[in-house]
Amino acid sequence: MIDAIMNSAIIQEIILLAKPALFNAYFALASIPIGFPFAIFLALGKFSTNKWISLPARAFIYAFRGSPLFIQFFMFYALMLSLNKVLWKPWGIDEWVLHPLFIGPFVLILNTGAYAAEIFYGALRTIPKGEVEAAKAMGMSKSQVFKTVTWPNMLRLSWPAYTNEMVFLFHSTSLVYFTLPVINEQKDLMNKAGELFEKDYNIYLHFGVAGLYFLIASLIIFYLSELMRRRLNRHLA
Amino acid sequence: MLEIMPDWLLSWFSDDSLEMIDYLTNGKHLTWYASVRYTLFAAVLSALFAIGFGLIGAALKQSGFFLFRWIGNFYTAIVRGIPDILFILFFPLAIEQGVEYFIARSKCTAEQIATSVNWPPCEAAQWFLTTNDYLLMACLSLGLVYGAFVANVIYGALQAVPKGQLEAASAYGFNQKQIFWKFKIRQMWAYALPGLSNIWMLLIKATAFLSLLQVTDIVYWAGLLGTANYFPSAGMVHPNWNFQYYFVLFVFYILLTMVSEKFFNMLQAKASRGMSVVER
Repeated sequence: MIDAIMNSAIIQEIILLAKPALFNAYFALASIPIGFPFAIFLALGKFSTNKWISLPARAFIYAFRGSPLFIQFFMFYALMLSLNKVLWKPWGIDEWVLHPLFIGPFVLILNTGAYAAEIFYGALRTIPKGEVEAAKAMGMSKSQVFKTVTWPNMLRLSWPAYTNEMVFLFHSTSLVYFTLPVINEQKDLMNKAGELFEKDYNIYLHFGVAGLYFLIASLIIFYLSELMRRRLNRHLA
Repeated sequence: MLEIMPDWLLSWFSDDSLEMIDYLTNGKHLTWYASVRYTLFAAVLSALFAIGFGLIGAALKQSGFFLFRWIGNFYTAIVRGIPDILFILFFPLAIEQGVEYFIARSKCTAEQIATSVNWPPCEAAQWFLTTNDYLLMACLSLGLVYGAFVANVIYGALQAVPKGQLEAASAYGFNQKQIFWKFKIRQMWAYALPGLSNIWMLLIKATAFLSLLQVTDIVYWAGLLGTANYFPSAGMVHPNWNFQYYFVLFVFYILLTMVSEKFFNMLQAKASRGMSVVER
């Protein structure tokens, strides 16, 4: 009975795609911790009243939200390649700078930074003014106001949208190996599913199980994010 | 290009820039510029498909019958949990295989179908797709994916129409049909437009995937033209210019987004005229 289940095509497929799924997980896990603070800085930059800070942040966010990630990957890989002779080679870091495991997260960070920054910027604009004024009236310094009012409110207001962004980011990781070279057996879910499809033309099995992995990953992100949301809103309960 | 330029214009440019103009207007480049039509056509057609699927999805989601509601919710949920690229590759392949399956049943022998390890089981069942077929299937799959997003937006917008408006219409003696079309649907657009605008932005960015479906679109040509050329017989000799070409695409998509934004702002002003409830 257990053998029959273990030998079934679906279970075999799930085992086969487990390692490729780790590559998607790596791209997401490498991008989120750096993309998050980057997005916060961008959002604060866009919110700034100083136009020399606000304008570049606005332009960056607009450019990266207005163009396809697919093109951004191609563009940055080409840029890295063209800088190889003058920069990376002489510095001796060409091996890892040109590696998909580096460029992948690099471009994803720029992209998710722009999208998340727009979300955080939207939250910054809707922070209750009364709370900020009350904090100032209490005699708090600028950094104290930020720490006790702006920051927790921004996080709380933007969290549902940021959750969606994290799910989209995980989905975007499937684009890395469509645009960057595949090195040896380093393949992600879509790549491996495509390779298996070319062997036996069973599109429902391979793409179905790959989709299942994405679905489960999305559910995990939604679940963890819900725990965080409850924590952020615990004072409202 | 240089042949049709008058002499006085030619004398304006240096030799280097003349060479550049000649390079940028050669046959391959003109084909590249012309391939924008695939991108724009795909964006518009997919948007129409998406609206169609979205309206069906929204109707299913608010249906009174539990099975329809369940199907509508399943449709919108599954597309949110799975990357669009998977669907965009999946639907055309699945449709192709489905058609080939039926051709195979009539054209191939039973023995071939049972024993063949390749797909399709025999040569006769191979369905050769032209660029236009692939384009159409790409639009269909983009429409299916973004239709789920549209369904969510329209469903939400229908709920957002104030109940009092409909009751007032009823009190004035409008019949059910008039209330639905002239009040609910008419006002729904004003609430749906910001969401639809976002989906359109996603959709134009997704048209970059066309090159993955064998469509010779702008991305495909940019990749081809950017590769280094060392043979003077094949035109201008240049190193790898991939970055420059992709940068042009990068800017092109940003401009497309800008134009769309302007257009949607105009549309929003039109759809919400006379309404004080919609905040801009």
